[in-house]
Amino acid sequence: MRALVSSPEAAVLAREMGLEALGLARTDEEARRLAGHVGRVYVVRSGSVAEAIVTLYRDEGFALAVLPGTREARDAAAHAAQLIGAAFVPDAVNVALAGDKFRVERLVLGNKAVAVYEAHPPLLLTLGPGSRPVGEGSAGGEIRELSVGEDRRVRSLSVEEKPKGAVRLEDAEIIVSVGRGFKKKEDLQLAFHLAEVLGAQVGCSRPIAADLKWLPEEHWVGLSGKKVSPRLYLAVGISGQAQHIAGILNSKYIAAINSDPNAPIFQYVDFGIVDDLYKVLPLLAQRLKERLGRA
Amino acid sequence: MNVAVLVKLALDTGQLRLSQSAVGVEETPLKISDIDRNAVEEAVKLRGNAGKAVSISVLKWPPVGRRTQEAENLLREVLAMGVDEAYLVADEALAGSDHYMTAKAIAEVVRRIGADIVVAGEATVDGYTAQIPARVAAELGWPYLTYVRELRVEGGRAVARRDLEDRVLVVEADLPLVVSVTREINVPRIPTLLAIRAAMKKPIARLGLGDLGIGEAPRARLAELRPLMVSRRRLIVKEGTVEEKVDRFIDFLMEEGILRGT
Ligand SMILES: Cc1cc2nc3c(=O)[nH]c(=O)nc-3n(C[C@H](O)[C@H](O)[C@H](O)COP(=O)(O)OP(=O)(O)OC[C@H]3O[C@@H](n4cnc5c(N)ncnc54)[C@H](O)[C@@H]3O)c2cc1C
Repeated sequence: MRALVSSPEAAVLAREMGLEALGLARTDEEARRLAGHVGRVYVVRSGSVAEAIVTLYRDEGFALAVLPGTREARDAAAHAAQLIGAAFVPDAVNVALAGDKFRVERLVLGNKAVAVYEAHPPLLLTLGPGSRPVGEGSAGGEIRELSVGEDRRVRSLSVEEKPKGAVRLEDAEIIVSVGRGFKKKEDLQLAFHLAEVLGAQVGCSRPIAADLKWLPEEHWVGLSGKKVSPRLYLAVGISGQAQHIAGILNSKYIAAINSDPNAPIFQYVDFGIVDDLYKVLPLLAQRLKERLGRA
Repeated sequence: MNVAVLVKLALDTGQLRLSQSAVGVEETPLKISDIDRNAVEEAVKLRGNAGKAVSISVLKWPPVGRRTQEAENLLREVLAMGVDEAYLVADEALAGSDHYMTAKAIAEVVRRIGADIVVAGEATVDGYTAQIPARVAAELGWPYLTYVRELRVEGGRAVARRDLEDRVLVVEADLPLVVSVTREINVPRIPTLLAIRAAMKKPIARLGLGDLGIGEAPRARLAELRPLMVSRRRLIVKEGTVEEKVDRFIDFLMEEGILRGT
């Protein structure tokens, strides 16, 4: 049985399940990296990815397809899945072949539960957080071009790049994250100052980025934002709704500062301070400076 | 313009009944999935004066029999927001079934009501797989635009701003079309008392898979649902001065070795 894969991680996963991996890449660079891990890579430089998936299913056949987790790739996977009559499980955290069926796990219900699905092949997936990075491979796979059509009913008029700073929340060791407990944009300085003392990056809840636009979207953490896995996640003035928590579950330690002792965030923390962030943050920064400076 | 809006009657994750070993699905109430309220708002705006706005819901959480009344009460809210008519697909075979079947059912209702555009939320609060819009489009053979935060429809064409991870795409597409919207697209209206009363008289149609002529089997099945246990320390400091609290926090960070360089 075959697996269609679009990343080296997925190729390793497929091999572990005893499936022969076939690559699907969007760029020559991706194709080159994938060719280190699979026998054959199809590179689809433009056109509809959904059509590419359907074509490869028809011409090559696969029991499993593991696709990238981007919004566009997920759309393509969903579209292709309906056309070939397949299940599609995005953000899978565990997948195994049990007899003639796949068993796949994913977090659901605001990450409060794990759903286990049994699916007949073909099954389409994207991988959730926690997949291991894989180095360069030496399989020396062959690279082939696959040309597919474009949906002419949809036309691109323009592209606006979102403002990008130096924020790489996914790689951050410590994140100080801000929520609606801050009363105005200028007050975020309190968090930025603390972050500087801690050598941390600044994250935020959805309303801070999406509604108030106090920070660019690259700071946004949660279900619809970034999934982060720092050593310490410190949530300041964040209530802890399920959709925010969904992005921080892989943190080693979670701490929170919130003036409401009943804020849901306190159910998810290792350490919590119930108090006014306007009093806590300046003092915390100052005491950290003193105590770290002494060491 | 005739608009179909997809409304998920989602499991209310805020009121989820959880025990050590089980998720009490049947005891947890349903709610209108948050972003679907934005979809309803957009649908009602798009409809204009001449058209019709119809909502479509597929009941996914058991027990289907007992949920139907609960579902209809929620759909009254959707009707009060300005939707003209609600379709509820309720069938034992759909509870716990996969998205393939859900999309089939939705597409079949869309065909019957003859919509020009289907509006959905970007994702639902309970499942959050975001796959229904693209699946429904595949089933109908229509183009689709997802993650739309601004939408203008004129003369058989839509122009939209699509919100992707690192960029915003401005795109144009021909109708008929499937669109999914983000929360940022609008502010859903709160129905007036008058609208709530008027909604009591609007029709809710109930259909099963048999009525829709769908006899296929799902590709995947929900085999198990178990609570995700988070074991955190939960040391929560309420008492004392701010100084004491801050120092205890720093002690904790140091004892656990979270702060390097100490
Ligand atoms: C489908 C969907 C997807 C979503 N995706 C995301 C997502 O990816 N990320 C996300 O964050 N949200 C997401 N949300 C929104 C989420 O449900 C919450 O609305 C949001 O997280 C709340 O943000 P907040 O905690 O900053 O604000 P609030 O809920 O308003 O909380 C503010 C908190 O600050 C505290 N506070 C107030 N003043 C002070 C003070 N002086 N000192 C200390 N504390 C104070 C309050 O006690 C309160 O707990 C999503 C929602 C939906 C429906």
